[in-house]
Amino acid sequence: MTDNEQKIIFENWLGQHKGLIFKIIRAYTFTAMDQDDLFQEITIQMWHSIPSFRQESAVTTWIYRVALNTAIKWIGKERKYYNQPETKDVAQHLLQQGKEQVDERLSWLYEEIHKLDEIDRSITLLLLDGFSYKEMASILGITESNVGVKINRIKKQLTAKSKKYDYHGI
Amino acid sequence: MEFEELQQIWDSQNNQSLYAINEQALYNRILSKKKQVNHITNTSELLIFIVNIVGGCFILGTTIYNQKVNISMYILSAWMFSSASYLLLNRVRRIKEGHQFERSMLGELKHALSTATYQVRLSQAMRWNIVPVGLLSILSVIEDGKSTWIIIILLIFFMLAFFAGGWEHGIYRNKKHELEILLTKLQHESSDDNH
Repeated sequence: MTDNEQKIIFENWLGQHKGLIFKIIRAYTFTAMDQDDLFQEITIQMWHSIPSFRQESAVTTWIYRVALNTAIKWIGKERKYYNQPETKDVAQHLLQQGKEQVDERLSWLYEEIHKLDEIDRSITLLLLDGFSYKEMASILGITESNVGVKINRIKKQLTAKSKKYDYHGI
Repeated sequence: MEFEELQQIWDSQNNQSLYAINEQALYNRILSKKKQVNHITNTSELLIFIVNIVGGCFILGTTIYNQKVNISMYILSAWMFSSASYLLLNRVRRIKEGHQFERSMLGELKHALSTATYQVRLSQAMRWNIVPVGLLSILSVIEDGKSTWIIIILLIFFMLAFFAGGWEHGIYRNKKHELEILLTKLQHESSDDNH
């Protein structure tokens, strides 16, 4: 694969699937600097993954897999960026917040997702984005029954919390 | 709210653009990242390899050149060449093993854990390697009949290196431990929940 072919595929993937990358970034980060950093990591991993994509799965599944794996590993080194002085290219922000009206319920949902540990966060994102148990098992590398158990617990947890949210009428 | 409602709220963002991408900045970052070829493991392997080979050659060269009969020096250079070979073998094994992991989250975590385990093992081996290198260096200085001060300075130097090695080893061990926790969370929860 030539660099140019890789670049075309990369731009195409980024253009069509940036929404899912943004969701993962929002679920795994707190600050604008972290968002930039994770976005950079995901796009670089996405770029490197292009030659190994064999079309055995959908592009969405592939990108989700790459992005979640990157996010999980990124979390471990997240703290080291807090005290780092910004270099010239870091100061140039990669992502600028959109101007759309913020849905409070969606913000609440992201807050709840933030409270989960790294693994449960991944499963919740996959679940909310409608992936099947089989796809989730393949992305996560665990059995479907294991996925099922985790999903049941997460669903119960989220619906219980949403009831409290309804009750307080926020 | 039922879960289906949560899903609807989640889907509502599909029609929104949360962020705008600064494409030029992204391109600049990818280019700069591509230049950072040397990963921590590669760099430390290369450094240890060079130190052992150059050190071994230097010690052997000067001993032969000066026509000294200093057994400790010969053993020390042989030891350093062996350390470099051991490192090279481990590096080949590490790179080979790196291709065996699948691209799932479990596979990626296992790969990261395998690299971390390698770093822990390497830092431990290199830390304890300071002991024979230090002892042989001091013995060779004694054989040469150098002053006690040189022996004391060497002793302090190797002790400091040993403690610094321990500090480095601790960093890798903590990193490995974090990965083990993640892996346990991913793998073993279903059996915990079933009990």
